[in-house]
Amino acid sequence: MGLKILNLIIVLFLPFLMLGVIKKTKAFWGGRYGASVFQPLWDFIKLMKKDFVISKTTSGVFKIAPVIILSSTLFAALFVPLVASSAIITIPAGFILFAYILSLSKFFSLISAMDTGSSFEGMGASREACFTTIVEPAFFMLLASVMALCGNFTFDSLGKIIQNSGGYGVLICIFAILVLFIMILTEGSRVPVDDPATHLELTMIHEVMILDNSAADLAIISWASGIKMLLLSSLIAAIVIPQGLSLGISALLYIALMFLISVVIGTIESATARIRMSHVFEFVFVMSSFALVVLSLVVARMFGG
Amino acid sequence: MNNFFIGILVFLASGLLACAFKGENKLKAAGTAAAIGSVLCAAPAFWVLFNNVNLGYALNFNPLFKTVEFALNPLSAFFVIVICVMSLMGVIYSNGYLKPYLQKAKNINSHIIFLTLLIASMLLVVTCTNALMFLIFWEIMSLSSFFLVIFESDKKEVLGAGIKYLVFMHISVIFIILAFAICAITSGAYDFSGFTLALGENKEIAGIVFALAFIGFGTKAGFVPFHNWLPDAHPAAPSHVSAIMSGVMIKTGIYGILRMLSICGTPSKAIAYTVLIISLISAIYGVLYAITQHDLKRLLAYHSIENIGIIGTGIGVGMLGMCYNQPLVSALGFGGGILHILNHSIFKELLFLSAGGVYLKTHTRNIEILGGLIKTMPYSAVLFLIGSVAICALPPFNGFISEFLIYFGMLKGLLINDFFALIALIFAIAALALVGTMAVLCFTKAFSIIFLGMPRSENAQMPKDDVEKSMLFPMGFLAVLALLIGVFPQYILKYVLEAASTVSGLNYASSFECCDLMSTISFCALGFILFTLVLLFIKTKFSNKVQLHNTWGCGYDRGNSRMQYSASSYASPFLSMLRPLFKKVFDIEKPKQLFPKSAHFSLHIDDIEEAYILKPLVKFDEWFLSKFEAMQSGNIQSYIKYGLIFLVLIIIGCLFIG
Repeated sequence: MGLKILNLIIVLFLPFLMLGVIKKTKAFWGGRYGASVFQPLWDFIKLMKKDFVISKTTSGVFKIAPVIILSSTLFAALFVPLVASSAIITIPAGFILFAYILSLSKFFSLISAMDTGSSFEGMGASREACFTTIVEPAFFMLLASVMALCGNFTFDSLGKIIQNSGGYGVLICIFAILVLFIMILTEGSRVPVDDPATHLELTMIHEVMILDNSAADLAIISWASGIKMLLLSSLIAAIVIPQGLSLGISALLYIALMFLISVVIGTIESATARIRMSHVFEFVFVMSSFALVVLSLVVARMFGG
Repeated sequence: MNNFFIGILVFLASGLLACAFKGENKLKAAGTAAAIGSVLCAAPAFWVLFNNVNLGYALNFNPLFKTVEFALNPLSAFFVIVICVMSLMGVIYSNGYLKPYLQKAKNINSHIIFLTLLIASMLLVVTCTNALMFLIFWEIMSLSSFFLVIFESDKKEVLGAGIKYLVFMHISVIFIILAFAICAITSGAYDFSGFTLALGENKEIAGIVFALAFIGFGTKAGFVPFHNWLPDAHPAAPSHVSAIMSGVMIKTGIYGILRMLSICGTPSKAIAYTVLIISLISAIYGVLYAITQHDLKRLLAYHSIENIGIIGTGIGVGMLGMCYNQPLVSALGFGGGILHILNHSIFKELLFLSAGGVYLKTHTRNIEILGGLIKTMPYSAVLFLIGSVAICALPPFNGFISEFLIYFGMLKGLLINDFFALIALIFAIAALALVGTMAVLCFTKAFSIIFLGMPRSENAQMPKDDVEKSMLFPMGFLAVLALLIGVFPQYILKYVLEAASTVSGLNYASSFECCDLMSTISFCALGFILFTLVLLFIKTKFSNKVQLHNTWGCGYDRGNSRMQYSASSYASPFLSMLRPLFKKVFDIEKPKQLFPKSAHFSLHIDDIEEAYILKPLVKFDEWFLSKFEAMQSGNIQSYIKYGLIFLVLIIIGCLFIG
């Protein structure tokens, strides 16, 4: 029970810190001192207090969408292994529920963007919808392969890759992490897929979808996308952090890993520019090929003798 | 079982009864009678499912057919319930939908008669166990639906679509007749139980029979590559007819496939894999072309192909489970597939009915010129949204449950420890995920272009109020049903598994552990809904001040409706990735001169099968047949001469063979 409450607290607050660490890293590479790592949390609180500015074109969909985005993202968090690789609810094939409930949040973020009748937001929505069609199959292929290898359909199998795959373990882990990392970059709309700090509407993806959201709506949506990033990062943690450690150590390792991922994302954002829009799809497609590599390694392990 | 036949008679009589009334009372009479008929027919079906028994009834026909047996087993009962509920909703809806046509003095009488005939024949198809009578009912079903499709026969494209439908149905029935003929020759009987006995001993013939039947019934169901009639016929028909056709009638094709599966017994691995692959191709093909469509009903028709593909995937997984002797896999596969039949008929009918409302109010099916309808038609919009979320298989609605079962079956199948099964199933899982996300893309497009944003044309400004209550009621009922199945799947799964075990002949009692999983999901779904409601309550209660302003337009303040993102542009990034899979037809008039007067650009995407296979085929056919034009002289003497030559040839033939 204590672990579950710890996990819940982590889901609610760690996303702010991760975003803060990314910003801090970028400031570091840019030679600036940067804002405090708690700044995203202060931003959140400030936004919650502000008044709404809402477009006249919008309908009720625009008003309820942020709530559904938040509730479905939080709900998805229940199925993901967090500290000590333990999820709040463990059910077989939970990853399907996880992926589809995140799809629900995406569905509402897409229609809420389209509700404003803005061409920019439509553009962002159409790109976002398009990325999902590439990301999701690769994610499913990765998890199905890993689960076939471990013979277990919960997220636990992510942590059992090494012990089940003999000599192939390290390779499978590396490629699985790469798949998940590209997924974090795409779904979390980070460089090189999307630049959250850009000022030009034409080149944005996620940011442009929420152009018209303000005050609490904006706060909620940013929070939800932070949570989503945390959840996907937790899947990497489930692979990397060994199971069976004491609670304190695994919690520390988990938090350290989350910060490490944030630092890596921040470093990538400082080191590279975002890819040209027409080539972004090619970058995201790399995920599918890595997932195929995982599949072939699993097949090699199971049938290669 | 007697009730069932009385119900059928009520259905048949209701059509004639309606003719006796005048004006709107016609539709009311038909609706009331259909309600009575549905209750009478569905009651024994519910009884069969609740008690898990079989009901049989033998009717003694003339010497030609001898005794014809009708049977209600759990599978038939499941279909009977689907047909009754969905058809009833369609008939109630037609009360409101046909009103404008009443004033135009359309031939409503024949329409109602064919509608009730269609329902009655579908009910008989799924209960009849005699091959000959089955074919007769099947043909009545095809013909009556043909007359329903060509309701607006004064429009040329409607007639064209109707004839295409008729041709496809008759090609399909050839394959069904062939399959039944082979069965009849091997068994020497015409009833399905005789077929089962004979084919159980002869696996090779069973394989051929199943392949033929799959082509025949698959054409009705709309599997790619036999789907081409579907996207034409659905838009041509009136909305409640397309809803019944897409929601129920194409499912009789699935019923046929399941029935043949129970007759042919455990299929060979090759057939199981073929069914799985064809289904996955159908699913992807359907949703892909749905994304390209701007005609709302065509879009929904392509989604029927997608969902038939998903149902087929479930059946394919179930068949793999049978081949590899994995009862749990087959239970989950068939269970998911059969539940998806019900689910698809619920949300697809819901979507077709709300699309009909939009068409009735705006007089257009082209979504590119709609927009902002949520303000004038809020109920239709919310119902369409519920349908969209359900069809995208998102929790907490019903589509998710059936897809989850299919996914879970495929995951369990990964443990078969067979190379081909592993590869096929992992790719199937990825493909199903792809289909799901593409459906999200398609329905966010459809919903937001039709209902959100600003009106894109005068058509979109035409509706002043929402559709009337008799049209909203069936939609609301279906939406509630979609939510109930999504939230309480554990109560229905037991009966679905009964139907599934009729198909495979396996006992799925051990698979009821899935019901526990379903209870967990139900618990989660309830929690989710509650949590969302609480958050919504908090948001509305403690909301800050709201200030209205224009949409952000990059500094410009005068954004107008033509600056909005359109359906084509929304789908464009995705479609440009898959360029080779379409035939794009551009219609461009570039601006000329210094002060250009007219210019336009439009993009139309052709079905690749139609463009590269069917059209050349038809062209060749026309060319070939034109060679015989000379024979048609219009001279009666020469026609008599042809008859004579034909007779002589037959006599010579008989002499040689005999």
